[in-house]
Amino acid sequence: MTALAVSTTISHGRATLSGTRQRMLDDARLRVLWVALIFALVAAVATLRIGYLGLSDQVATSTSLEDALLPPRGELTDRNGVPLARAFPAYALWYNPKALGDPDNPLVKSPREVAQELKIIFPALNVENAAEKLAAGRPGYLMRRVLPEDANRVMAIGELSLELPRETDRHYPQGSMAAHILGYVDREGQGRVGMEQVLNDQLTDPAVRNTPSALSIDMRVQGALEDELGRGMLATNAMGAAGVILDVDTGEIMALASLPEFDPNKVEAEDLLQSEEMRQRGEVPTSFNRVTNQVYELGSTFKPLTVAAAIDAGTIRDFGRTYDASTVKVGRFSIKDSHFIGDNLNVAETLIHSSNTTTARIADELGSEKLRRTMIDLGMNERPYIELPARGHPIWPGEKWPRLRNMTVGYGHGIAVTPLHLASAYAAMVNGGVWRPATLHKLGAGEAPKGRRVFKASTSSRMRQLLRMIAIYGTGKNADAPGFRVGGKTGSAEKPGGGGYRRTSLVSTFAAAFPMDKPRYVVIAMLDEPKGTTASSFQRTAAWNAAPIVGNLIPRIGPILGVRPDETRDIDISDLKPLIGGEQ
Amino acid sequence: MMRAGSRLRQIGWALALAICLTLFLALTFRVNAVKSDVRLAEREIIALEREKLLLETEFETRANQQQLANLNRIEFGYQAPKANQYLEGERQLASLGTPRRADAPDPIRVARAPVPNDKGLFPMMVSPLTGEPVAGEGIEDAAPVEESEGRQELSAPRSLAQRLAISNPLEGPIAEVSE
Repeated sequence: MTALAVSTTISHGRATLSGTRQRMLDDARLRVLWVALIFALVAAVATLRIGYLGLSDQVATSTSLEDALLPPRGELTDRNGVPLARAFPAYALWYNPKALGDPDNPLVKSPREVAQELKIIFPALNVENAAEKLAAGRPGYLMRRVLPEDANRVMAIGELSLELPRETDRHYPQGSMAAHILGYVDREGQGRVGMEQVLNDQLTDPAVRNTPSALSIDMRVQGALEDELGRGMLATNAMGAAGVILDVDTGEIMALASLPEFDPNKVEAEDLLQSEEMRQRGEVPTSFNRVTNQVYELGSTFKPLTVAAAIDAGTIRDFGRTYDASTVKVGRFSIKDSHFIGDNLNVAETLIHSSNTTTARIADELGSEKLRRTMIDLGMNERPYIELPARGHPIWPGEKWPRLRNMTVGYGHGIAVTPLHLASAYAAMVNGGVWRPATLHKLGAGEAPKGRRVFKASTSSRMRQLLRMIAIYGTGKNADAPGFRVGGKTGSAEKPGGGGYRRTSLVSTFAAAFPMDKPRYVVIAMLDEPKGTTASSFQRTAAWNAAPIVGNLIPRIGPILGVRPDETRDIDISDLKPLIGGEQ
Repeated sequence: MMRAGSRLRQIGWALALAICLTLFLALTFRVNAVKSDVRLAEREIIALEREKLLLETEFETRANQQQLANLNRIEFGYQAPKANQYLEGERQLASLGTPRRADAPDPIRVARAPVPNDKGLFPMMVSPLTGEPVAGEGIEDAAPVEESEGRQELSAPRSLAQRLAISNPLEGPIAEVSE
């Protein structure tokens, strides 16, 4: 019984054991099945994914080549396609101390070690400065522009806090050159001051920004103009200088410079705003454009315009006729010459010696209405025609000119215009008599605006002779570059101030055109408050400072602009030459 | 017999279908592989174009007009060409020559066989930006200031101060004039 009982117990126990085993086996099988199922599922998903990747075309959505190469902002070039402003995606090296998540130790290595490793990549880097910046723990730029391969090497240093953000960079390869024409781009990406502002819509429009916008200026001519003006300004210790070179037949501006300049790559607050000290010293911010925005009384450079108006109106018919050169008295004012020139002067002598008295008499004979009409036709009563946003309004004498005002305007006083007004007026005077608006856009052949006729063609050819004579025999001698047939007129006007004119501060201008036998370009050079220095032989007038600038500039730009010097050619002045008997 | 033939045909069709499907799959895979290669190449083109733009801009910046003008004036003492340095044409060039004297020896003439595709002693000048050969007139255009007669004197060593003092910007044929 016991045995049976035992046996029963055993067999019962065996049965239980085998049941358990079976269950466990089932469990294990089920688990294996589950694992196998999961594996199979994963494998199926992977196979499907591979199939999808292999079969589908839409897996990697990348931007098209055109989209990726489209510049973020259009390029500005000069008339020959040389880039003056361009935008490109660039890397910057930014230090972010929070990147590692440890405010006390933002770097893995010591700041000095990191700085030395950076120095190997960027040889121009200053180790001391960089180590100081890294140790200070403030976020900031370490480098502004980094090449992609250098960016990879920076990544290889293995510092998380050295970040390489992609930035769109607007860069002006020529630095401060042509800054007033180009302008700059502000932090919001909007163009400011120059053509960046004017062409803002075009430069940001995705449809057209791939094609560079060509300006009318020639980079080499612009460089020469700024170089000569800058040296002239330093040599005479002048406050500022301005210059413009204009194509007389199309109105295209070949170069336009206002000194001192600003650097569009690095625009500072003092470039834009006039501080109290600057106001007291009579200075303007460097972003202020003296060529298109500042108005000056341009003095004697207006005399040829008056003479041209008188020839055109027929009040000057006989060039042998002389005018009384004694002091002109109108009411309590008197108009005098700076020195005695002669008792009587004819028209040629008036311009050659720059006589105020005879010019006033010529203007008086012409009459205020006709002179006023000519000045209006030359655009002197409105802002200059140019695309730039900064355009100064002339100080215009108004509707009815009294007799005295007519006389003073005749020699460039009592009317204040920008140097660009003068350039356009001179272009009209020498190109056959047609005034055209100035432009900064490159014009193709036949695209030149029709313009309006101000002078007769015969008047224009007479004026070419007279301007050439001033450069050969008169105040423009220092601008007469050999072989370039330069003609032009000096002007030295006292600046107004303190209830009258200040005899000590002058604006000296030289307005020229060349070559006079077939004028192609007008050149204006202006110095604001030049001082008498050794370089200018202690003289402050335009004949000694502005005229030599033009004389040095024209041989540099002439060959570039397609004007070859030729000493065997010149305009025929033989019919006027006998009138200045004592001069030759 | 008919049944066996029909079965064989069915297997044949299935086999053909399977082969077609495999080929189609393989082809699609291949096409997409090529496409992704193209995409990779495009990405590389974009990276290279950007780098080119950056380097080109850097080149332009380092060779900017002011820099070149200073080099030309201070380092080399170049001046703008004068009227007598220009020639009207071949005729004027020929007029500069002097006729050979009667007793002068005959000029030596060297025979030379024409070599096809001969680039001459020097290959064409290559633009550092585009890598393309620069045409002759391009070189002339790029040099705004040309050598002047004063070149020889500058070969002599001079100090920077002397070189800077070479030209007064306001100098020239200063005439005694008054306004």
